[in-house]
Amino acid sequence: MKIIVVTILICGFGLLSTQKLVRNYSIDEQNKTLSKKPEFFAMEWQEGVVLKNKPTPFFIEVETMGNQNIDILVTQQNRPVLYTADICTPVCADGECRLMYITLYWNLLGAYAGYDKVEGQTLTKHDHVEFLEQDYEKLHHLLMDDNSILKRKKIDELVLKPKESELDGVDAIAGATIAEVKESVVDGALYSCYVAWNIAHGPIKAELQEYTTSMFDNKLKGYMLMSSEVDYQMYALNSLSESEYLDYKDRIVQIFKLGIPLVRTYIVQNLPKLFWESESLQRPFWESFAEVDINNRSLLLNHIQEAPLEVLVLLASNLEIMTKNQLKLYLSAIENIAMTNPDINAQLLRFAESGNHIYAYIVAEFLEEME
Amino acid sequence: MKYLVLILCFFGINFMISQDLLLEAESFDEKGGWVVDPQFIEQMGSSYLLAHGMGVPVENAQTQVNFKKNGEYKVWVRTKNWVPGEWEAPGKFQIKVNGLVLENTLGLRSGWGWEYAGAVQITNKKNILELVDLTGFNGRCDAIYFTTSDVEPPSSMKKLATWRKTVVMEPLAPKITKKYDLVVVGGGIAGCAAAIAAAEQGLQVALIHDRPVLGGNASSEIRVHTLGIYGNFERILKKLDTEHYPNGSPEAHNDQIKRDNNVKSYENISLFLNWRAYDAKAVENKISYVDARQTASAERIRFEAPLFVDSTGDGWIGFWAGAEFSYGRESVDQYGEEWKEHGELWSPKQPDNAVMGSSVLWRSYEAEEVAEFPEVPWAMPVARDYAKVKGEWQWEFSRNDLNQIDDAEEIRDHMLRAIYGSFGNAKKLPEHAHRKLEWVSYLVGKRESRRLVGDYIFTLNDAKSGRTFPDGVVEETREVDVHYQTVLEDEKNPDFISEALFYKTPKYYIPYRSLYSKNISNLFMAGRNFSTSHVGLGGPRVMRTTGQMGAAVGFAASLCKKYDVNPRDIYTGYLDEYMDLIENQKYTPIPESKK
Repeated sequence: MKIIVVTILICGFGLLSTQKLVRNYSIDEQNKTLSKKPEFFAMEWQEGVVLKNKPTPFFIEVETMGNQNIDILVTQQNRPVLYTADICTPVCADGECRLMYITLYWNLLGAYAGYDKVEGQTLTKHDHVEFLEQDYEKLHHLLMDDNSILKRKKIDELVLKPKESELDGVDAIAGATIAEVKESVVDGALYSCYVAWNIAHGPIKAELQEYTTSMFDNKLKGYMLMSSEVDYQMYALNSLSESEYLDYKDRIVQIFKLGIPLVRTYIVQNLPKLFWESESLQRPFWESFAEVDINNRSLLLNHIQEAPLEVLVLLASNLEIMTKNQLKLYLSAIENIAMTNPDINAQLLRFAESGNHIYAYIVAEFLEEME
Repeated sequence: MKYLVLILCFFGINFMISQDLLLEAESFDEKGGWVVDPQFIEQMGSSYLLAHGMGVPVENAQTQVNFKKNGEYKVWVRTKNWVPGEWEAPGKFQIKVNGLVLENTLGLRSGWGWEYAGAVQITNKKNILELVDLTGFNGRCDAIYFTTSDVEPPSSMKKLATWRKTVVMEPLAPKITKKYDLVVVGGGIAGCAAAIAAAEQGLQVALIHDRPVLGGNASSEIRVHTLGIYGNFERILKKLDTEHYPNGSPEAHNDQIKRDNNVKSYENISLFLNWRAYDAKAVENKISYVDARQTASAERIRFEAPLFVDSTGDGWIGFWAGAEFSYGRESVDQYGEEWKEHGELWSPKQPDNAVMGSSVLWRSYEAEEVAEFPEVPWAMPVARDYAKVKGEWQWEFSRNDLNQIDDAEEIRDHMLRAIYGSFGNAKKLPEHAHRKLEWVSYLVGKRESRRLVGDYIFTLNDAKSGRTFPDGVVEETREVDVHYQTVLEDEKNPDFISEALFYKTPKYYIPYRSLYSKNISNLFMAGRNFSTSHVGLGGPRVMRTTGQMGAAVGFAASLCKKYDVNPRDIYTGYLDEYMDLIENQKYTPIPESKK
């Protein structure tokens, strides 16, 4: 598989000797291990772990610099953890080129995971000033943004001076103003940032994900599901069969409670029907009602007709956190038992009389109509 | 001013004869600093007056009220506290009758309903009534009801509608009927383009719009700049579009003047500004008429025509007429719109009712003197610690329990809280001591709502592949850009800030078949309510593109008239002539003198 990163300007002839040097450098670095957390890293790192480099069939071809191999980093038990590559690439601006050295890491789904400086090689800006610590940090932040403005703009669009009238704002199309670009890139190092971002987020991403898919087994599935990485959770959830949903039900509930809204949504939207047919299987999700975000409360409430009585009672103690439409949905579900179930009735009365709550009037009107 | 005096209304068990008068606030003779807000009529029942003073109490609204009989009247006001909570209500106001303030402060109750203002002794026929804003923070008054009875008017929407009908005794049908070749409802860029295209082909056109100015999201009231290409319709669209200023810029006023003047220059466009359609009647899947009401005076007109254009954005005409429509996100498999990289954010495995949100734009400026801004505790649960001095397109709100149509008032109010709260936070920083709010829109700028279903549903795949159509009348090069709320990825983010995902495409085309209803035979649609999937809407929802849609249906309408046929027949029987007409729009027409 051949991935070409096209650098901005053709590098000068003077780079040739360096090119040879870099290739030697790659060979010397074979069989290495990674025993400490990369200096700039977006994932959790397990202290004490030693990861071993193993070759993959992938490489990034950098124009004038040849192939830059991608390794997979595995544990002693041979479980894949990361992908990595020592990158040496020319960065050229205004006819002048210099080399940028950086060790990049990707997670198992090809997403940028972090980077290390290469020993003895600092990153520099256009004026040859070396990166400061905060510049390295900013580069890391930029690389973590998979939806960066750099993604949809050519380099000449980023440096193009906009019309005077555009200086004050951005929009979703022309989108980029100089101000927005400046915010996300290292000052004075736009070209380095652009090159690094496009290597990290280039076609290699999909290739690596595909490679992981080819070796995706139950062990890896379990690992991803147990991981705190959002995209691992999502990837693993997406691969679960109905019976695996049952096998992993406790972990799924845990992710639902503690995960980000997007993952919770995936869970509640894709739970197999049998969960909603079983009181015990659905109960833990309802018990998370107060802890999850508004969107996911709504998605849970879409299943209120399948909920057992004890859930309806539980929800009655959560009226304060319901939105207007959630309250309406809840009230329509309990219409027939609102006056007969003492627990629910008491909660409704308490809420209706709570005075200043924004939606207390809805319950008050409901009770009025019930009488 | 419109008010109704009712004698011999029976209320209460004693059947007391009472003297009653219902006054719609929006019909006040002088509105002072209050503005007419007709955005939520379908949900809360009426236009209302809004004290949109950005924190500075607005000037009193005032009107003359004539009573037939003297006596003591109880005064009820339909209003609501738009942010009830453990704080002072933000939108408080009072009623003044003949210079005397009534005893109760208003704007305190949760949910729309009647609040008792106090009793007033009426001793003269002519009386002056005033609304006195106390806060400048969006107090709202829908109606004022004077009654000699002791009965409180009903608040629940169901009972209120019946009560209003009884009180107002309005006949079912408007008294005035007007007939046109084409009725266009909605004066956004799409509606204006439709009206112009049809008018240029000689049709008598009615253009109904519920605001005082044309342009919808591009108007000086909302201030989104127009994007996209002109396609075949550069000449027409240049009469309507905007410069590429930052969203929210006052430069929108210049384009507003251009746009309004251009539309008004067509003698055969009858322009109904400040008129809002409230019903459409279809018989055997053909619309016979659209009824509309003046947003302040409540005067009504029935519009009859053989052809209608729904460019309301929310697809109201189609909705009332029974047109098929969709709302929300299709499952990723329904049209195969996957973008692996962005997964569920782009297109979900299961369909849902999430949509792109509405924006409320705003800006502030550096004043010469130090400027105070009041504490806004009622805004803080939304704004939290977010601190900003202006809001661009990213200020957008959508949540899956809120429908962009049915819950638009709550969406707008949420954005107002976000704005005032964030500005309040910014004002606490020394560098913003001189900052003053310059402009905050009170209109919701919607991106997505109902999408009416046509003979063809435009999807991402049409854009991705650059698919050509024999009836491709709209063309675009703009990326497909779908928004999501950033709070979905991190709960620490404000829930009113969005992010855009851009899918680059080649030039793509929208077929004419996406611009007329599948099941309502004489209904065109143009604008964001055209026939598309959720993701498909991501690209062509911008206003030069929707303008192209408008122009395309305007020209189609002219052929419908020429051959006395319906929109679908243009595709099946007159496509060559139609496409020639569209193609010819690329060229400047030869002046009559040189023919």
